[in-house]
Order: sequence, then structure tokens, then C-alpha cells
Amino acid sequence: MSKQSHAEVREAADGLRDKDDISLIDVLSLAEASIHSMKSFIDSLDSKIYSEFREIAEYIQNTKSEIGHLQANDLQSKHIPEAGEELSAVVTSTEEATTKIMECAEAILEADPSDHEAYQQTVNDKMMIIFEACSFQDITGQRISKVVETLEHIESRVSRFAAAIGAEDSDQPASEKEEKRKKRKKDLILNGPAQEGAGVSQDDIDALLNG
Amino acid sequence: MAVDLSIPVLVVDDYKTMIRIIRNLLKQLGFSDVDDAADGTEALGKMKQKRYGLVISDWNMEPMTGYELLKEVRTDDGLARTPFIMVTAESKTENVIAAKKAGVNNYIVKPFNAATLKSKIDAVFGE
Repeated sequence: MSKQSHAEVREAADGLRDKDDISLIDVLSLAEASIHSMKSFIDSLDSKIYSEFREIAEYIQNTKSEIGHLQANDLQSKHIPEAGEELSAVVTSTEEATTKIMECAEAILEADPSDHEAYQQTVNDKMMIIFEACSFQDITGQRISKVVETLEHIESRVSRFAAAIGAEDSDQPASEKEEKRKKRKKDLILNGPAQEGAGVSQDDIDALLNG
Repeated sequence: MAVDLSIPVLVVDDYKTMIRIIRNLLKQLGFSDVDDAADGTEALGKMKQKRYGLVISDWNMEPMTGYELLKEVRTDDGLARTPFIMVTAESKTENVIAAKKAGVNNYIVKPFNAATLKSKIDAVFGE
């Protein structure tokens, strides 16, 4: 290793020591600098070893490029929060619409039918409000489409990255919180709503209970 | 045996909208004394203060689920005989079997209609 390249590596390593938050990019950069600095040494080795080192260098370069394409900061700071906001808005608007519709239904049920004219007016007024409230479906549909688009965007980036680095799924939970959540779901049989046709029907349930 | 419409009913669900829907359906069926709770813990507290003739509970709630509430109720000598109907979106066979084993009286899968609620209440009271 030449004195100049030795100094480059030392400078890169010193730079890392001074940083509080070392990213994967930083480590890969140091590894790349180390490999470049060893070029003179590598040149003296036989071609097979040289080829292997070159493959490692290419792999590191490719991984760096794929990490760049992943745009993790963009996903974390923009796309995921925006999708969360869209879903919150869907929950709010569906709840508001449901409340309006129920208020109308309650008002109709409580109206006095003996006064035919007043009763008809109440029914007509409340029906108009119900029609208006149902317009939430169009807006929530558009919001959910945006969320689906975001999920597809994330899926394509993550898939490309996983394929590039040959990632394999780990059996271990991502965090302690995740592990607790999974255990609670398993212990308390929290499956959530089933997809259309996947759960048992009310008739099947009745048969299970009476069987 | 006719259903006694004056019995106190406790509706347990963490969604206010669902509580409102079930309250309205019960009102239409003629029940007049209906209370509600947002999860199993709150429901258990209310059940120890007032004797309910029927509990209608969701399954998936925090911190105490409807499944845990059912098991607590069935192991409490003072509450064990309270009729308990599970109204839930949990529609896997394992949920139904677990609820049956824990002593549920009936099980309604969401979404449901007024006729289903009425028929299950009638069945619980032997009509």
C-alpha cells in the first residue's frame, strides 16, 4: 500500500470516528477506499485473486447504487407519512358520514307520523342529507387509490433492493414491540376481518355452535 | 319463553359508531335499558356494579378483548350465568371454536343485520 493511499484510508476512518451517526453508505465508502488503496498490493497478486477483489469492489459499488435508488429517506419522510395522513382522513370522513346518516335515521324514527305533512318534510330533508353524506365514498376512494399507489412505489423500490443484495427473510422479529404484538395476536386469536369468502359464514358459525 | 325486554343490556365495543348502531337496533327490538363500555376492562367494572341480563361484545378491543372478558365472566361466580353474545368481524373457525369453549351463548359475524341480532337474542333466551 502506498503512503498516499494509506493516508486516504486513515483520513476516511478518522472522518467516521468523528461522526455520531455512521450510515451504511459511510461504511461502504470506507471499504471502497480501502480496496482502492490496496490496488498496488492487489496488482502484485495473481489474476484470480485480483478478479475476486474486483468483484467485491463491483458488488460494493452496486450496493451503494441500489441504496441510493431505495431513497429510504424520501420514503420515511414523505411517502409513508403522507399515506398515513390519507388513511386517517379516510377514517375521519367515513366516521363523519356514518354519524350524519345515523342522525338522520334516528330523526326519522323519532318523528311523529300523525302529522303527515311535517313527517313527509322531515323524511325528505333527512333523505337529502343522507344522499349528501354518501358522497364520502368518492373522496375516500380517491384517497385509498393514492395509498395503494404509495404502497406499490415502496414495493417496487424494496423489491429491487432486496433482489440486488440477495436479501433473505429472517425468522427473527424486527423488534421487541413487534414480537409482543405478534404474541398478543396469537394468544388472543386476533385475526381481524377476513377477506371476502375467506372467513366462515353466519350459517357455518351457527352449525359450529350447535354441533 | 318470551324475551324480557326490560332486562339491562351491556354493549361492549371500542367503536362508538358500532355501539350506536347496536343501541338503535336494540331500541327497535324493544330493549330500553342499554349501557355501553369501550373494552373488556370497563365492561367488567360495570358488570360488578350492575346485574346485566345480556352482554353483547366485540372481540378485538384493547386492553382487554371480548374473548378475555368472556373468560373472566365465566370464571366469576357472580357473573358466570350472564348470557353473552359475541358480535365480531373475527370469522375464522378457530375464533368460533375458542368462543364456544369459553362459554359463549351465541356468535354473530359482522356485518350483520337486525334480523340476525333478533334471532340470536331469541335463541339465547330459548324462543
